[in-house]
Amino acid sequence: MTQVKDHRAKLKPVWCPGCGNFGVLSAITKRVLCNLGIPNFRTFMVSGIGCSSRIPAYVDTYGLNSIHGRAVVIAQGAKLAKPELTVIAIGGDGDFFSIGAGHLPHAVRRNIDITCIMVNNFVYALTKGQVSPTTPYLQRGEGPFLSLEMYPPVDPMLDMISYSLSTGSSFIAQGIATDVAHLDWLIEEGIKHKGFSYISVLTHCVTFNPPELFSTIRENATYLKEGEPVELPESSSEKPWIHDPSNIDLALRLAQFPLLEKPFLGILFRGNLRGSDVEPSSGH
Amino acid sequence: MRKNLTIGIVGAGGDGVVVLGSFLQRIAAALGYFSQMPRYYGAQIRGGGSAVKLGLDAERLSLPKDSTDILVCFSWERYLEFKQEMALTEDTLIAYENDLPEEMKLPKRCFWIDFSRRSQELTGSTRSKNIVVLGLLKAILALPNIQVREIIEKDEELKLLQENLLALEAGEHLFREHSLPELTLSPARDPSAKVVLHGNAAMARAASDAECRSFFGYPITPAAEIMEEMQRGLSRKKGVFLQAEDEIASVGLAVGASLTGAKSMTSTSGPGFDLMTEMIGLASTDEIPIVIIDVQRCGPSTGIPSKSEQSDLNHAIYGGHGDAPRIVIAPYDVEGCYRLVIESFNIAEYFQTPVVLLSDQWLGQTFVAINDEFLRKDYPIIGRKKPSKEHSEDYHRYQLAEDLISPMAGAGDELLAYQTTGLTHDDKGAPAFDHKTHQKMHEKRWKKLAPLCQRDDLVKFFGKEETSRGIVTWGSSAQIVIETVRKLGLQNEIKVCVPELIHPLPEKIERFTSSVERLLVIEMNYSGQLYRYLHSLLDLPRRTEVCSRAGGQPFSNEELTEPITELAR
Repeated sequence: MTQVKDHRAKLKPVWCPGCGNFGVLSAITKRVLCNLGIPNFRTFMVSGIGCSSRIPAYVDTYGLNSIHGRAVVIAQGAKLAKPELTVIAIGGDGDFFSIGAGHLPHAVRRNIDITCIMVNNFVYALTKGQVSPTTPYLQRGEGPFLSLEMYPPVDPMLDMISYSLSTGSSFIAQGIATDVAHLDWLIEEGIKHKGFSYISVLTHCVTFNPPELFSTIRENATYLKEGEPVELPESSSEKPWIHDPSNIDLALRLAQFPLLEKPFLGILFRGNLRGSDVEPSSGH
Repeated sequence: MRKNLTIGIVGAGGDGVVVLGSFLQRIAAALGYFSQMPRYYGAQIRGGGSAVKLGLDAERLSLPKDSTDILVCFSWERYLEFKQEMALTEDTLIAYENDLPEEMKLPKRCFWIDFSRRSQELTGSTRSKNIVVLGLLKAILALPNIQVREIIEKDEELKLLQENLLALEAGEHLFREHSLPELTLSPARDPSAKVVLHGNAAMARAASDAECRSFFGYPITPAAEIMEEMQRGLSRKKGVFLQAEDEIASVGLAVGASLTGAKSMTSTSGPGFDLMTEMIGLASTDEIPIVIIDVQRCGPSTGIPSKSEQSDLNHAIYGGHGDAPRIVIAPYDVEGCYRLVIESFNIAEYFQTPVVLLSDQWLGQTFVAINDEFLRKDYPIIGRKKPSKEHSEDYHRYQLAEDLISPMAGAGDELLAYQTTGLTHDDKGAPAFDHKTHQKMHEKRWKKLAPLCQRDDLVKFFGKEETSRGIVTWGSSAQIVIETVRKLGLQNEIKVCVPELIHPLPEKIERFTSSVERLLVIEMNYSGQLYRYLHSLLDLPRRTEVCSRAGGQPFSNEELTEPITELAR
């Protein structure tokens, strides 16, 4: 089979110029699918509703832009019925962690071999700027976070990394939309992982995020490298340790640092699979 | 000696009421008797009331009568919960073991028998008291001894009886001094063994026979038995079974599986069906075949979960935002529960659309002993239209074919990869935002279903064509309506139409309603949902009446006698 160089479909994206989703799309179409050499007809990509949920339509694989919050269940149904498919569920913070959050712990505990890519832009962008479960919380006295017109969020943000860890996800990684090569590697590792893999992608919304949000993230972000010391936030008095993604205790320690203070990029946790999970469909 | 007999059994949870009824029904079925045995439960799982009403018939499949010929009562307190269903006459023979409440006036033939004590003496436990009663009933009905022993020996399901023959014999000897010839059952006309199953089991079996290999569900009363049967069946066949986290997930999983080409199903009851509404819209607009069984119970909200009603019709036909066509089918007997599941898969797959199958608690949970021919018939199995080789050049998922049904690739099929969306989309599945495409795709999805309106075979007809009085009824109510017309001897005056396919509306229904001067619509819901639906689409006769009321108790012959007699007048 000839090597496909790009899995982009013809359709033109609806995103704003400069949107982080372009980075995610290009990681998937130009790198992940090409590098893994999975034929397009053997890939099924399903999304919910939101800006990032538009991604499947721009990829030449099988796919469905479904209804809000349900990408993960449709993905599991497809994988169970046809285990030879590579199945990717993709969507945003509102899709996976608000309306669809109830499905995640169950997808995780079943450990069905799908890859879940959550593109976190910290806001409901498609509906024009409402707070999402990951919109950073502001202390009283600080100015509104989103824009002057908007009400600031009053509830603390939901931390996707600690949520995924606490529910027992067997693969947890975090990338950033501006580093496409690194993101490509994470998604490839996630797809290769035999079990439920969860990949958080930090991105910016050029229209509804204040620019400071993403610049803070980029400034504070640090790459995790297996076998090398982790870089902890300045406020931490802990002694840095050697990163070992197979160690759940160390992953939990990473997860305790607030996202904006120290966004860790890399594979936070890659669990050893229990024997019965290797062929997820056989148990169901 | 008599041809049919209705036996009521009532007690508290743990008294073994359902087991007793089921054992007697199984033994009678092996001897060739037809029977139907509805189950009645209170709100509690254990310790609450439970009752069954076994209607045995030596000649044909009939319904249990309104009143009981024999009543076995383990608890009068529980009896009061079900006294409408377990009506007594002056001739009812009663066997009971608890003290009578003061206000109870009993018929003359009443026997106080300490079943528990006898069981205790013989087996060291009171738990076999229902087996003692079984022996008693066997003796009263005069079921042949040697044959019954053989049946018990052979049937794995009667293992408990094999181990309790002492209790059975003790029961057999109880009434030896009484002569009750009017309660003996004449031998079955056709002694070939009948199969015993309930609608829920029939549906699961049909799904398996229709080659459904992926099922997703969530526990709910009174539909859970379908899920349990599917789990058993699919684990043997290496199919996909998953108990989902909620009904949104069940139906979503089914949609995902269907997109790969697998025949997929889910089953639920009202509250779960509500949760599936949004996904039905997606399956309709993206033309994804799925079968959804709704075993209706009393609603709205939690309602009466263990009792029957026919009140989800509106939701099945219209539920959801936008204009999302779907098929609505409703069986009215156990044979239909089986046949129409196969039909639902055929229709879902052929027309690429969701099919909602409306059963109800009565149909789902009533045990029926019936000839098994319908299980052995060769039903055609229809698959979905697949793209051919030439499509692979430029595959348009929603290509506008003459019959408006586009070939559907399954995810994984080589050279045909396509993307689709819940957004309004064009023939390629690409998002579209213009009125023209929106209108065109609506037309495609609605008009492709038009051939179904010609499905005369999915509208059952009883009576004489030329009569000018007619009844339209549906679901489990149809059985009692047909039987009441027969019992009143009005078959020549009144014809009955039972649509199994309700949406889209078969033309045969219009031919029926326009052929009568007087029409009566009978259904079990408060607002008359089928009537309103028919009224919205057809010119019904000026003299059209509705007989509808809330569920929670099945219609009786007595209750329907007046409206049906009035119709014939």
